[in-house]
Amino acid sequence: MTPALEIRNVTRRFAGLIAVNDVSFLLQPREILGVIGPNGAGKTTLISLISGTLAPTSGDVLFEGQSLAGMPAYRRARLGIGRTFQIMRPFPGLSVLDNVAVGALFGHGGGHAKLAKAREQARAQLEFVGLGKFVDQRADELGGPGRKRLELAKALAMQPKVLLCDEVMAGLNLVEIDEVIAVIRKVRDAGISVLVIEHVIKAIKSLSDRLLVLHHGEKIADGEPDSVLANQTVVEAYLGKRRI
Amino acid sequence: MKALRIMLVLAAFAVLAAVPWFGSDVLIQFGINALLLAVLAQGWNIIGGYTGYASFGNSVFYGLGSYGVGIAMAQWHLPFAVGLVFGVVLAVTFAVLLGIPVLRLRGHYFAIATLALAQVMTAIVSNVELAGQNIGLVLPPLNNDRLFYELSLGLLVLATLTVFWLTRSRFGFGLIAIRENEEGAEVMGVNTTLYKTMAFALSGVFSALAGGIHAYWVTFIDPESAFDISLNVKMIIMAVFGGPGTVLGPVVGALSLSAISEFLSSEITSLASLFFGIVVVVAVVIMPRGLADMLRRFRKTGWRYFAENIRTHRL
Repeated sequence: MTPALEIRNVTRRFAGLIAVNDVSFLLQPREILGVIGPNGAGKTTLISLISGTLAPTSGDVLFEGQSLAGMPAYRRARLGIGRTFQIMRPFPGLSVLDNVAVGALFGHGGGHAKLAKAREQARAQLEFVGLGKFVDQRADELGGPGRKRLELAKALAMQPKVLLCDEVMAGLNLVEIDEVIAVIRKVRDAGISVLVIEHVIKAIKSLSDRLLVLHHGEKIADGEPDSVLANQTVVEAYLGKRRI
Repeated sequence: MKALRIMLVLAAFAVLAAVPWFGSDVLIQFGINALLLAVLAQGWNIIGGYTGYASFGNSVFYGLGSYGVGIAMAQWHLPFAVGLVFGVVLAVTFAVLLGIPVLRLRGHYFAIATLALAQVMTAIVSNVELAGQNIGLVLPPLNNDRLFYELSLGLLVLATLTVFWLTRSRFGFGLIAIRENEEGAEVMGVNTTLYKTMAFALSGVFSALAGGIHAYWVTFIDPESAFDISLNVKMIIMAVFGGPGTVLGPVVGALSLSAISEFLSSEITSLASLFFGIVVVVAVVIMPRGLADMLRRFRKTGWRYFAENIRTHRL
């Protein structure tokens, strides 16, 4: 089966800093792949390289076997790559409903041409992520947890084939985390492949089918969540070396 | 509520349309100027208010529209309508050629880059023989102010309907998304470069048509007046005063500020511009998001609206 995403030897330099260093991995269809790593490991850069807001210094990203090299972000979105932002970026002056409607108007396949249809779909998407009560509110009036869900609804309204989640659980309480996990599972059950960046280890361990660890821009582990988290290098990356 | 609003707009339109049949010559002439300024403010609203790019280049479109009509009529002896089309073609070409590089800049940088365009155009046109160099062009006169008035009003209606369409179309939503968060819009599938350029061009079409009508009306154009940067400042002030990113705000802003400015300059001639400046400063302080926003919130918060705005300015 063709992988949903193939990351092939991708490197990204910012002047002297190598944010992502020769990283390769696959995202299989209907898989939930968790990406973890300490601060500054290159996780968000990786998502930006896939969604097209940054270009790789070298290497290539393939979507369903097709190279995305040189393709602008909006065309990747129309192919079916949806992303959320870690620093939540709603369209602040628009209502919650219209924020999501933008995704339905422009997303996968070019979206709906009709505003009424797009709003209808947006409403359904907001119900799905649990923001059904806030449709008429302005997006900048939502609190942090609400904005996280809004980011998710915006990306889902694009009807993506691949969803890239950048820390959608950061700052949420345990109940909210469980709710978001349930939403992401349902998304996967609908046939979408998901890449999740997360800091909350416990949450991502139960959610992911597979776990990938970045450290200083390099991939240091990739495999079953339990074995990855038991891996000595991974433990050292997070906690440092034990000195006796 | 909605029906009432539509009735009000239609009534206002009927009154405006009837002005040439009961108003004095002075009123009609004031009307033409005010309506053309409203068209410019509404045109600026598309790129500045909806797309969020504070363009100082719209006076260039205005100048190109003037020269389109000027060259077509004075040099080639073609009808007025052909001149308008020629001006629009010039403006759209300019918007596409310069929009693509300039619209890559954001915020202040975009404003400064477009600010320079008007200066450059004055210099270029002053050296083009077809455009009458720095002497200018004299157009065949047409003494029919009623016609010019109704043409300007028709253009304003067209511009306003276009902006109304923006608020409920896919294209308009793309522009608003760009204004609110350009990177966010891009990753959601909005072709930001294309949309920005189209908004710039559409904004230019209305400015060019206004410039064309004005040129034929005053029957004389020269580079200094056609590419006058202060006109661009005026359209921005008017749009922002009324409420950028709203359908009727720029129109109300332009008409009311024109009236205030006219009143001041006839009543207290020597200090008129000083008072006009004060009106603008006070407006910016007490209602920074324009008349439209003020009216919307005033109903909810009352006089506190002004107090809160003053407080946020730390005055």
